Amino acid sequence: MDGPLGFDVGMDEHEPRRVVEVFERFATANGVSDLVVQRFCLALDEILTNVISYGFEKVPEEPRIRVDFGLGDELLEVRIEDNGRSFNPLADAPLPDFTLPVDERPIGGLGIHLAKNLVHDISYRRDKKRNCLTLTQPLQGATGDPNP
Amino acid sequence: MIAAVSGRVDSVNATSFEQELSKAMEGGSSRLVVDCGELSYISSAGLRILLLAVKKTRAQGGGVALCQVQDHVREVLEVSGFTRIMTVRDTVEQAIDSF
Repeated sequence: MDGPLGFDVGMDEHEPRRVVEVFERFATANGVSDLVVQRFCLALDEILTNVISYGFEKVPEEPRIRVDFGLGDELLEVRIEDNGRSFNPLADAPLPDFTLPVDERPIGGLGIHLAKNLVHDISYRRDKKRNCLTLTQPLQGATGDPNP
Repeated sequence: MIAAVSGRVDSVNATSFEQELSKAMEGGSSRLVVDCGELSYISSAGLRILLLAVKKTRAQGGGVALCQVQDHVREVLEVSGFTRIMTVRDTVEQAIDSF
């Protein structure tokens, strides 16, 4: 089994796809099920796209984004850290309203909703002016509903 | 009108997906079938384009129907509430017949 893997992510719109591809190779090579790989790829993509697009508006610091993948016998863990503006996607992202008629539905706002609903557990903390998100998935019985 | 989409649709190529769908709708048809048989991945950037297509076609009395949707993509559509606003069928023929 591969050890943990971590690297910096640049402020470029192509970076989420690169990270997703690295994660896909890492997780697939270590036997993570296709279903979990796909769900995590989407969550990573959405969270990183959000950070790169909006996380550093009016932030004077040099952007620093880092991802770490960890895999044990029973747990898959992905950490995403950035020094952008304080943003807790679990509390600060508006909930989409699916009861709205089509012509009133907003065009955006689905990315964080998808990430929250496709990953078994996401936790957030603000630490030393950094947003720290941890996505976890138990690896046994990792099929069906991600939030049983 | 039938359009086929393949591979990945994410924030990198969502704009070209939008252009291709617009081209497909240029003929004036307000009924759009999207064959997703070869679509392996879609993020919210791609969903945004589908939503725009639904708004556009519905405004003209039509709509969007998807078919041959892979399991993971179907899950994304369900979690996003998109299965409430567009038809999803198993085959191209069923999608065409849904209008």
